[in-house]
Amino acid sequence: MQYSSQAVAKPYFVAAIGLFVGQIIFGLIMGLQYVIGDFLFPAIPFNVARMVHTNLLIVWLLFGFMGAAYYLVPEESETELWSPKLAIILFWVFLVAGALTVVGYLAVPYATLAKMTGNDLLETMGREFLEQPLPTKIGIVVVALAFLFNITMTVLKGRKTAITSVLLLGLWGLAIFFLFAFYNPVNIVLDKMFWWYVVHLWVEGVWELILGAMLAFVLIKITGVDREVIEKWLYVIITLTLVTGLLGTGHHYFWIGTPEYWQWVGSVFSALEPIPFFALTVFAFNMVNRRRREHPNKAATLWALGTGVMSFLGAGVWGFLHTLAPVNYYTHGSQITAAHGHMAFYGAYVMVNLTMISYAMPLLRGRQANSEKSQVLEMWSFWLMTVSMVFITLFLTAAGILQIWLQRLASDPQPFMVVQDQVSLFYWMREWAGVIFLIGLLAYLASFFVGGRPAEARAS
Amino acid sequence: MSGVFTKSMARNVFYGGSVFFFLLFLGLTFDTVRALPKRDMRQNITPLVAEGKKVWETRNCIGCHTLLGEGAYFAPELGNVVTRYGEEGVKAFITSRPVDGIPGRRSMPQFNLTERELEAITAFLKHVSTIDTAKWPPNNQG
Amino acid sequence: MSSSRTSSSSLVLSTPRVLQGDIAVWIFLLAELLAFGVFFLAYAFARARNPGLFDAEQAGLDRQSGLINTLLLVSSSALVAQAVAVVRRAGADASQRAAAALLGAIACGLGFIVVKGHEYAAHFAAGMELSSSTFSMFYLGLTGFHFFHVVLGLVVLVVLWRQTAAGVYRPGDANGLESGAAYWHMVDLVWLVLFPLVYVMH
Repeated sequence: MQYSSQAVAKPYFVAAIGLFVGQIIFGLIMGLQYVIGDFLFPAIPFNVARMVHTNLLIVWLLFGFMGAAYYLVPEESETELWSPKLAIILFWVFLVAGALTVVGYLAVPYATLAKMTGNDLLETMGREFLEQPLPTKIGIVVVALAFLFNITMTVLKGRKTAITSVLLLGLWGLAIFFLFAFYNPVNIVLDKMFWWYVVHLWVEGVWELILGAMLAFVLIKITGVDREVIEKWLYVIITLTLVTGLLGTGHHYFWIGTPEYWQWVGSVFSALEPIPFFALTVFAFNMVNRRRREHPNKAATLWALGTGVMSFLGAGVWGFLHTLAPVNYYTHGSQITAAHGHMAFYGAYVMVNLTMISYAMPLLRGRQANSEKSQVLEMWSFWLMTVSMVFITLFLTAAGILQIWLQRLASDPQPFMVVQDQVSLFYWMREWAGVIFLIGLLAYLASFFVGGRPAEARAS
Repeated sequence: MSGVFTKSMARNVFYGGSVFFFLLFLGLTFDTVRALPKRDMRQNITPLVAEGKKVWETRNCIGCHTLLGEGAYFAPELGNVVTRYGEEGVKAFITSRPVDGIPGRRSMPQFNLTERELEAITAFLKHVSTIDTAKWPPNNQG
Repeated sequence: MSSSRTSSSSLVLSTPRVLQGDIAVWIFLLAELLAFGVFFLAYAFARARNPGLFDAEQAGLDRQSGLINTLLLVSSSALVAQAVAVVRRAGADASQRAAAALLGAIACGLGFIVVKGHEYAAHFAAGMELSSSTFSMFYLGLTGFHFFHVVLGLVVLVVLWRQTAAGVYRPGDANGLESGAAYWHMVDLVWLVLFPLVYVMH
């Protein structure tokens, strides 16, 4: 750690990991509800568990992004953070708002929550991933703007690098596209169309800029490769991302009432979407191979390489599998979508956050890298979580193929629930893979408490 | 690879390319918004349908169901549910959900909808079933 | 790259096998060509499924305008190539002559915009839009996508023209010019496939 104000990143990372644990617990609850339908019913119905699962994911990823920004911006800009105090205040505001929202979801029926929180003033609730009550949504905007102000002021007073420019662009885009969460027309087609302005333009747009910047930062630090080289590849990769991803939004406009030309536009551009992810993987491996130093933090290197591979598999390959309109006609809204969603989110955004945390946390705790023992445990957690996520994806894909066959392709299509019963074996296997994931996560947590002498750089 | 490769050019291409494709995306969005009235059946959005959308949202139906294929995959597609079960069938299903669920099986919560809310949600779902969705879903089962 | 830096005259005589222009631009061009390529394939696929509709609606296109535009783009591309060659060869007032060639290229490009604009005006007056038929979707989609590339290319050319006139580019130090030229040639190349495919072949 080169600047004392970078320390504000630490609570953000801790909160991120804490919420991650919550997310996985609710994931396991939902997985069980898939096979034991009345599990926790009516105390925690599936829709409530799912809301908690997905919202915790979004919130902890945002905590991770903010922590990453607070950590890397001072170092990149070569100056202290504009206001560390503001960063700490925002941390508590965001954490309390997030906690209250989750309590609200669990404590009262959703309709009551909507009434209590002024949904009648401006109806924004009840849409997937945007379930947050109005005060929470406004809170997110306020926190995001104050955070951006803090970060932007820091960048403005210091050195400007490609990494901070790309990061800032991504973060500003994140805040701006979130504003579409407040647009909820009565016309469901328009509603759905602009809902994707938040969801797609986040995960297949501006978030990828944040991901690229974070990964580039860590790669510069752990490989010692020239900044010029890494930054120009960063630009090339995010160019490919936006060139394919912006019009790639079209793959969500196939069957929601939008004109049929989107079937062509969406298919063509999203078919090209694996390219930037492939480039990212090649880039990460290339930089590590060309490394000029042996950084003692092996775990961070593993996470960085894993991000490349898993985002390519999850977002690239599993996305491509069902993105062409004639295929999507049958796969749309099936377990295939769930399979893709899980691996893509894990491979891209979970892993890039864990990469950043893995790199920065030891430094925030006053050492260049954790002890060998701690790193070995962390790498075990990497493999446990990553391999179990691959299996979750494979089982959901199998369930999805079977579901599509029985429900949509067979000469005598069967009703949804009848089909669900027939694929339950795969849901059981998914749940067990989920348990392994949780064990991996617990190993990850434990790695923070393994002491020992910090690993040192080997002379190369 | 031989040849020049500069960061400033990579940056220019990034900004130029992104703005270019973003403008194209906006252009297509504009065209879509213009073309929608022919497909989204907005002439049928009565106040009752609007109320129904609110019922749909405040019960977080999307947390289990899909609507035109978007949402959660825990419960059946509802974009065509009115064609599948009829308006009366939909209403009967919603009102008959047991409060404590069904042992061992998935069950929709009992939402205790009023008569008016029941009419509204059905009108909303009926409206959705008339939208031109390029023939999706593939069959009645959704 | 080393050979082009040593002497400017050897460059012209023994064209070195070095990629002209910036690799960053080339990666972008390849992505764009890929997108156009997939769209052309999609066009062929859609046409094969409905040749009657495509033939009928294709007959309504203004082939003469298409031909004029082809000539305009080819000339424009040639002028840009000339500008690059002039700069590389250096010599007396190379910058001014190259700038003049670029200005000619810009004029041709503007000509393209005017002609294509006329065509579009006629189509829109006749009520054609993206969603009116599969053919109109492809015709407006492909030519429109290309049209906006021409517009972007013109912006690039204007920047190059001003830079060139200001004497920014020199032999062995013309990366920006070569990169922009590569982009413009790509726009031309795409049209050379697009024109026969959409206007002529049936």
